[in-house]
This record gives sequence, C-alpha cells and structure tokens, in this order.
Amino acid sequence: MTPLPIPLPDPLPLPMHPGALKALLLVTFTLHLMAVNLGVGGSLIAAVHALRGKPKDRELVRRLAPLLPGAVTFAITLGVAPLLFVQLTYGPFFYTASVLTAVPWLALIFLLMAGYVLLYRFVGSAGSETLHAASGIGAALLLLSVGLMLVNVTTLSLRPDLWAAQAAASPHGLRMNTLDPTLWPRYLHLGVGIVAVAGLLLAGWGAWRSHTYARQAGLRWFIATTASQAAWGTWLLVKQPAPVLDLLLDGRSAASLSLWISTALGALALLMAIPASQDGSRPQAVWAPFGLGLASTLGMILLRDQARDAALAAFGFHPGALPYKTDWLSLGVFGLTFLGLAVLLIVVLRWVMPPAASAKEEAP
Amino acid sequence: MNHPVWDLPFLGSGWIIGIISIIHVSIAHLVVGAGIWLAVMEGRAQRAADGEQQAWLRGRTKALLWLSSIFGATTGVGIWVAIGLVNPTATQHLIRAFVMAWAIEWLLFVGEMATLIALVRAYDRLQPRQRLILYWLYALCAWLSLVVINGIVAFMLSPGQGWTTTHAMWDGFFNATYLPSLLLRTFVALALGGLWALAAGGTADPALKPRILRPTALLVLAGVLLTVPAGWYYFQSFPPAARELVLGNLKGTTGLAQGFRWALLGLGAYLLPGLLVLWALFAPRSFRRPVAVLGLLLACWGFGGFEWIREVARKPFVIREVMYSNGIRVDQVAGYQANGFLPQNAWARTFAASKGDTDLAKGEAILRSQCLACHTRDGYRSLKALTATNSEEDNVLLIQGLRELDPALNPYLDRMPPFAGTEQEAEWVGKYLGSLKAK
Repeated sequence: MTPLPIPLPDPLPLPMHPGALKALLLVTFTLHLMAVNLGVGGSLIAAVHALRGKPKDRELVRRLAPLLPGAVTFAITLGVAPLLFVQLTYGPFFYTASVLTAVPWLALIFLLMAGYVLLYRFVGSAGSETLHAASGIGAALLLLSVGLMLVNVTTLSLRPDLWAAQAAASPHGLRMNTLDPTLWPRYLHLGVGIVAVAGLLLAGWGAWRSHTYARQAGLRWFIATTASQAAWGTWLLVKQPAPVLDLLLDGRSAASLSLWISTALGALALLMAIPASQDGSRPQAVWAPFGLGLASTLGMILLRDQARDAALAAFGFHPGALPYKTDWLSLGVFGLTFLGLAVLLIVVLRWVMPPAASAKEEAP
Repeated sequence: MNHPVWDLPFLGSGWIIGIISIIHVSIAHLVVGAGIWLAVMEGRAQRAADGEQQAWLRGRTKALLWLSSIFGATTGVGIWVAIGLVNPTATQHLIRAFVMAWAIEWLLFVGEMATLIALVRAYDRLQPRQRLILYWLYALCAWLSLVVINGIVAFMLSPGQGWTTTHAMWDGFFNATYLPSLLLRTFVALALGGLWALAAGGTADPALKPRILRPTALLVLAGVLLTVPAGWYYFQSFPPAARELVLGNLKGTTGLAQGFRWALLGLGAYLLPGLLVLWALFAPRSFRRPVAVLGLLLACWGFGGFEWIREVARKPFVIREVMYSNGIRVDQVAGYQANGFLPQNAWARTFAASKGDTDLAKGEAILRSQCLACHTRDGYRSLKALTATNSEEDNVLLIQGLRELDPALNPYLDRMPPFAGTEQEAEWVGKYLGSLKAK
C-alpha cells in the first residue's frame, strides 16, 4: 500500500510543552467561538426579527444591533490565536488541507469582508425608520458561509486518506471537501449550534436587563435550534470514520464521556428552557438552561478536540509526542503582556460599563 | 516544498500574497499613524477646550474602527491564509520560530480593538481624561504591534548568524535590519495616517479646517521627511548580497529591472505628498479632499515599492540563508541532489503517480514543487516564454546547470534557488519544460 502523503513536520521544536499549547488552543478557540455565537448567531436572529417587523421585534433589533459589529470584530481578532496554535501543532494536516481546497479557503476573506460591510449597513439602519432586513439576512448568510469554509478545511485536514483523490480531482484547489461525508452534517451542527448559543445569550441579556421579549425570544431560538440537533448531531456522529465512532461510542474513553455528558447537558438545558420561555415565567428561570447550555458547549469544544486527536491518531500523528524546547524568556514576555492587557481590559470595562442604577430597565 | 502546491495558472500564487499584502500593510501602517494622530489631536482639542473639534474627532474614531475592523483585520487574516497557501512550508517554519512573538502581537491587537471599540461605543460615558488615556492606549497598542511584527518581517531579510546557530527567538527578532526597519515603518505610518486625516479634514467645516489641517500637515511633513534618512539607514543595514542584488539590477530590460524602476518611481512619488501638504499648512481653507487622497495614493505607491524591494532583496530566499523561496531549506539541497527529490517528497510523488509516473509526469511534479512559487507555465514569469527558443536539450542542460552551487558556474544563483534534485530529475524537468511548447 502506498504511504499517505502526510508532509514532514517542521524541524524546529515547539516553544513549550504540547499540552500547554493545547490548553492555549482550547481557551482561545472557546473565546473565539463565544464571540462568533454572539456576532454571527446574533446577526441572524436580529435579521429575522427585523424581517418580522412587529414593533417589539423592531425594538429588540434596535437594542441588539449595536452589539453585533463589535462582536464580529472580536470574533475575527480572537480567531487569529487558535488559527495560529492549530497551525503550530497540526501544521502538516492543516496546510495540506487548505492548499487542496485553496479557492474556497481564500474566499473566506472576501465573504467575511462582504458580510461585515452588510452588517454595518444593517446596524446603521437600526437607528433609522427603515430597517434594512435584507442587509441583515445577507450579512448573516455571508458570515455563516465563512463557517462553511472553515469546516471545509477542518474536515479535510482530518482525512489524509482522501487527500490524493482530492488533489487529483482538483489540481487548482477549486473543490470543496465533498468527498468527506462529515462536511455537511458538521457544518449544520456548527451553524445551528451558533444560533442556539446566540439565543441563550440573548435570553440571558433579556433576564439581566428585565427585557421579557428578549428573554422569551432568545429561549425560543435556543429551543428550536437545539431540538434540531437531534438530526444534525446524530447525522454527524454516524458519519464519523470508524476509529472515531468506535471511540465515541465505547462509553469509557474521555471522548465518549465528553460526548454523552455534553449531550445530556444540552438535552437538560432544552427541557428546562421550555417552561422558562412561557408567558408568566420568572426571569430567573433562564439561568439554569443558560448555564447548562454553555456547559454543554464547553463539553462539545472538548469533544471536538478529542475527536480530532482520535482521527489523526489513526494516521500515526500524536500531538503530545511532538518535540519541544521551552522558551522561558518568550513565555515571560508573553505573560507580562497578558497581565498588562488584563489590567487594561479591566480598567476599560470599569470606565465603559453603564452605572449600576441604570442597568435594570423595564421593557415589554 | 514539503506540502502540496497550489497551482494557480496565469497569475501565479505569489500575486495573491502581493495583492492582499499591499492592501493590508497600507491599512495596518495607516491605522498606527492615525492612532497617534488622534491621540495628539484629542489632547490639543481638550487643552483648548475645543468641543467642536472633539466632536469631529469622534467621527474619525468611528471611521478608523470601520477601516481597521472591516478591512484591516480581515486582510490581516487574509495574509495568514495567503502565505499558508502559497508557501506553507515557510509559513510553518516561521510560526515554529516566532509563535510567541505572534502571540504577543495578538494580545496587543486585542488591546487595540478593545480600546477603539470602547471609545466608539462608550464615548459619552467617558470622562475627557479617560478618553485621552484610551486614545493614547490605542495608539500605543497599535504601534507596539508594529514593533513586534517588524521583528518577524525584518528577520526574513536578515536572520543573522546568531539565530541560525541558536534558533532562539529573540536572536532572530533583534536582527540587523530590525531598528532601521522599525524607524522607517513608524515614519511611514505617520505619513499615511496623517494623509488619511487630511482627506477627512478636507471636508470639515471651514471654520474648523485650519485647526485640523495645520497640525496634521506638520505630522505628514515630519513623517515624509523623516522617512528619507530612515530609508537610507535601512538600505545600509541590508545584508551585502541583498544590497548588491538591488544595485546590480537597476538597469536593463529584465523583469527585475523593470520592477525596480517602478518601485523607485514609487519612492519618488512618496515624497510628493510632502509638497502637497504645504497647501494644507499655508492655505487650509482652500484645501480639498482629492488632494489628500492623491497624496495618500502616491504614498501607498511608494510604500508598496519599498515593500517590493524588501521582498525582492531576499531573493532567492524566503528566509535569507535559511530557506529558499520554494520552501526548500538550504541544508536540504545537498541531500536532494545526492539522493533525489522525488523519493523524499511525498506530494511530488503523489502528483507524479496521479499522472502515470511517466518521465514528463515526474518532471512536472518536481517543477510544481520547485518552480511554481515564483513562475507560472504561461502567465506571470512564464516558463514557456522564458524557454521559448530552447531545444529540449537546452532545457535539460539549463536545469542541470541550476544544480551548481558555485555562483561562478550558476549565474542565476543570486536570484533563483539551485535545482534540488539529481541529474536524472533535472533531465525530467528539462523534458517537461520542452513539452510546454506544444501546449
């Protein structure tokens, strides 16, 4: 059998223990994903409510819209770090996949830019009489398509067995990773999950600001999208390659525990969200599904990483075994910069937060 | 190239980096300069209790956020995407060498965005002193991100003996061109940011115009004038071989010479805004936005020319003396020449196998890996055109000649990597080159 064309890793050692890099990857990816949930999922929710056009929807959009561009800015900014760490650890797989599907991967930039411009147009209209709902829908769809390009490369990076066929079929990198049966279910699972968490965040914001409609609408978004994960999540699970599927279903491994615990947390959040979304429910009822839903998301992030390592282990790659030489000086400078940034962010937050007295406000 | 090749016909994949980079570096430097300008102007306006000017600066802050978030941040990600596609092997090497520098720069970028968003979203809630501090913090974060990224860009031109021995990040970071490059880029940033501000100020209220345009014109003038000695200092810091490459290719009709002429014209054009801003300085009321836009375009042309010269001065390396522009490390060449490129390159083998493992297929596979980083078959730097008058034997001899590592025997060595393969592999590539005529 011909060996798979997996490029050799770079000869330079990693600058710290691979476990520490993995932790940085997971932390920064989590921060990135939360900003994506708010910016991209929030854009779709805001655009749909703008389309509905009722007074309470328009009021909700006017409150939500100003948050969106900043969230997208942070989604991009915070996305750079996991992109860096993933290239550092999984470079041979990541680069190969991106070159093999180069045109869709590069298109990501233009989709992002176009989505961003439309989002600003939509948000700009929120302060005027006429809401540009079409701009909002266009922005949300473009931003969601950025996710498709990311999933496209991510899924291909896990399937070195498909690379030669992909390269032969598309020497100029035009094709998507359609040879991989996980592409579409993974994208749907992600996209729907983004909207679900955005719904949760909206519900939490509604409870915090005593905005009943935001709270109920957010929970309804969460309920509808999370319920549909029964289809997308199951589809994604059954399409996993055999070694990954076996691991996920064995009931003993860490990956399997992550899968079942986060699924259970998500299901519990769904069940508790239903009564909390009804008329007359207490605002505090949001917090249980809110916490459980976020915990489920964190579990899924962990699961995603475990499934990736399981998939690549089948091809002989073990990130924990990569050679490293700790660069203490650079780590020290990084740490000091991080502390400086943390102080800066705390000071800025204290300055910009509205006074506590005006935090609570009544709304329909 | 250790990875698969993105074979982009006609244009060549390198241009993708070029186009995205020109946009990104112009915006990235502009926002650094604009950040300093905003902080200086806000301070002046506060000291003069000039509420009208502060309100006008608030609008520019918002515009700067749009510019830096929509186009600056996205094209920044675009560079990551593009360099990973065009030269994944070099990108991986740079990331391994400088990941902590990039991580530090990322923190600064987060600080940059956080302060700017805070200024835009919570302007009314901030006390004037808090606003001024945030403006300065934004300017500091933006400039420090330049301080960091400059180390990596300068490293590619002059990594230095220290790093090649120790592979310690800071040995590579503080290299021979680091300080001159930082000075040069800082002054360019002041010029670009100031010209952007002049373009905005060109449409301000007539009563307000002089209060904005005069100090801004001085900033641009300082940026442009200080760029001149900084540029000279920078060029003097080039490694000797890089300087010779530039000076030795200014004349003639080669593509390189034509490129240098365009770049030098750009450097000349960069000085013109220094004259244009005199209008804003001495007759601010009649100054118009198109003049500033013209100045900004000229300055961007000059800055693009500088970046082009810096890129070309690295030839034939992507990291001077460490890695060639085709992703082959200098220390790999001898092994490839002795034992063959194909046996040690999984992706070239995969490509050849997909085309039946014929001699032509093997030649094309090696050519894709070693030549397409800079050439195309029949477009930019067309191999077909460059070898149009060659016989097949000429082509074989040409490629075999490129195996020579002695500059006296290989006249292309100052601008093109040596052929990293056996005599037999050079023959396959020569035959494939000959076959292009029929296509």
